[in-house]
Amino acid sequence: MIVAERKPFAEIAQAVAGYRRVLVVGCGTCVAVCLAGGEKEAGILAAQLDLAGQLAGRQQRFATACVERQCDREFLSELDAAAREHDALLSLACGAGVQFLAERHPTLPVLAGLNTTFIGVNQDVGRWDERCRACTDCLLSLTGGVCPVTMCPKGMVNGPCGGAVEGRCETDPERDCAWTVIHARLSDSDRLANLEVLVPPRDHSRANLPGRQAHAAYLRRYSSHD
Amino acid sequence: MTSFAQAIKDKGFVVTAELDPPRGVDLGPLMALAGRIGAKVDALVVSDNQGANLRQAPWWAAHRLAETIPAEVILTLTCRDRNRLSLGGDILAAAASGVDNLLLVSGDFVSLGDHPQAKPVYDLDSVQALMLANGLAQGHDLNGQELAGAPELCLGAVLAPEARPLAPQLVKLRKKRAAGAGFFITRPLSGPDALKTFLQEAGELGAPIIAGVQAKNPEGVAAAAEMAKAIRAGGLAQGLHLSASGDPETLASLVEACGR
Ligand code: SF4
Ligand code: SF4
Repeated sequence: MIVAERKPFAEIAQAVAGYRRVLVVGCGTCVAVCLAGGEKEAGILAAQLDLAGQLAGRQQRFATACVERQCDREFLSELDAAAREHDALLSLACGAGVQFLAERHPTLPVLAGLNTTFIGVNQDVGRWDERCRACTDCLLSLTGGVCPVTMCPKGMVNGPCGGAVEGRCETDPERDCAWTVIHARLSDSDRLANLEVLVPPRDHSRANLPGRQAHAAYLRRYSSHD
Repeated sequence: MTSFAQAIKDKGFVVTAELDPPRGVDLGPLMALAGRIGAKVDALVVSDNQGANLRQAPWWAAHRLAETIPAEVILTLTCRDRNRLSLGGDILAAAASGVDNLLLVSGDFVSLGDHPQAKPVYDLDSVQALMLANGLAQGHDLNGQELAGAPELCLGAVLAPEARPLAPQLVKLRKKRAAGAGFFITRPLSGPDALKTFLQEAGELGAPIIAGVQAKNPEGVAAAAEMAKAIRAGGLAQGLHLSASGDPETLASLVEACGR
């Protein structure tokens, strides 16, 4: 899932300060799961902004709405009518959702209430850890299901750097060296031979550009008609 | 110019010393230090933004040293600060300027240095950097495209004999050899026994090892010299790599104690 966290309140309050009617838009998928931008968080933020606005003597009104996913047109269309009633939209979606909402309302200021942090997993109640950098060429089959691109700060793909101390990363004694974990995992699953593969320089050409992909079956179905 | 690998072969045992370029434009102190120690070592290794701290780019000092000091010059290049275009370009420029010995390293992470906000590069890892350099020496770039004039290069890599667990390090080591590393310089050692243990566990590397001996201050020189002596007497390495945490006086006395 995409993980995000709420921006500092002061930054959000400043961003909305110039608008009278603001719609705080939550997103019901990833950012709801990581307790940053779901329906509940949208409600709380709106109430806080309302209070801060009153204290500052501003004439502001904050309403809330929440859609299933802001990264999907089908759900964004539900907001069209409400959006027209407001001077600005404050999106609590990930960066992709904010942009899609802004694309749909080009004449309205669409503001970001979250900082999108990473693609990760739910480690524990209220704790998330990054696991993937979306590099477009997954190495996990080779590396024992541990991502060297993400879990090694240097993204080393041919083995560890020389900085590991007692199996911990040189950047942080609290973190395992990714390559210690990879080696152990491959050893445990009897795949140490994987490590002898000399991984050539990676092809970043696809990840360098804004990603774009289409489903093959979709292309087959629709391209034959045009 | 004989390359560093040739020097190891000819002399059997070599001594190198590490020089850090200045945090400014004045190369004078570095050249003065090199003048003092240059005749007592076989090679000077110029570090590259050592510890992820901003310094003058190492190619300028390397070039000036190659012009004026009789010792070999080894240029360190990190993958931290360069993508493949920049690494390749710097290697070609270094070779054109008379510096053909390279130490290709991943580089300490940016969070350890004085610009922790920097975006680290690591487009290549050190194994792939060796592949790149090896390819250039054979006249082509990473995409197989031909060069107009290939450099003659002597390639080295870093070795961490005391990193544990050792098994993942050995994987990397084998790959560095396969990718063209002709010599290894170790990280500063805690003692000769650490190297002995490593050699027992690692077996034959097929390339000379230059043992890292560091004195952090003038008081540490005697102990470091002892260690150097034991390494040499024990036949544990094919050379010594002397360093002094950037303190010129400490380095000068360490070279005095261990140099040729
Ligand atoms: S290698 Fe790592 S970053 Fe790349 S797709 Fe796989 S998990 Fe994601
Ligand atoms: S210690 Fe391990 S995880 Fe950390 S940068 Fe080095 S190889 Fe990567």
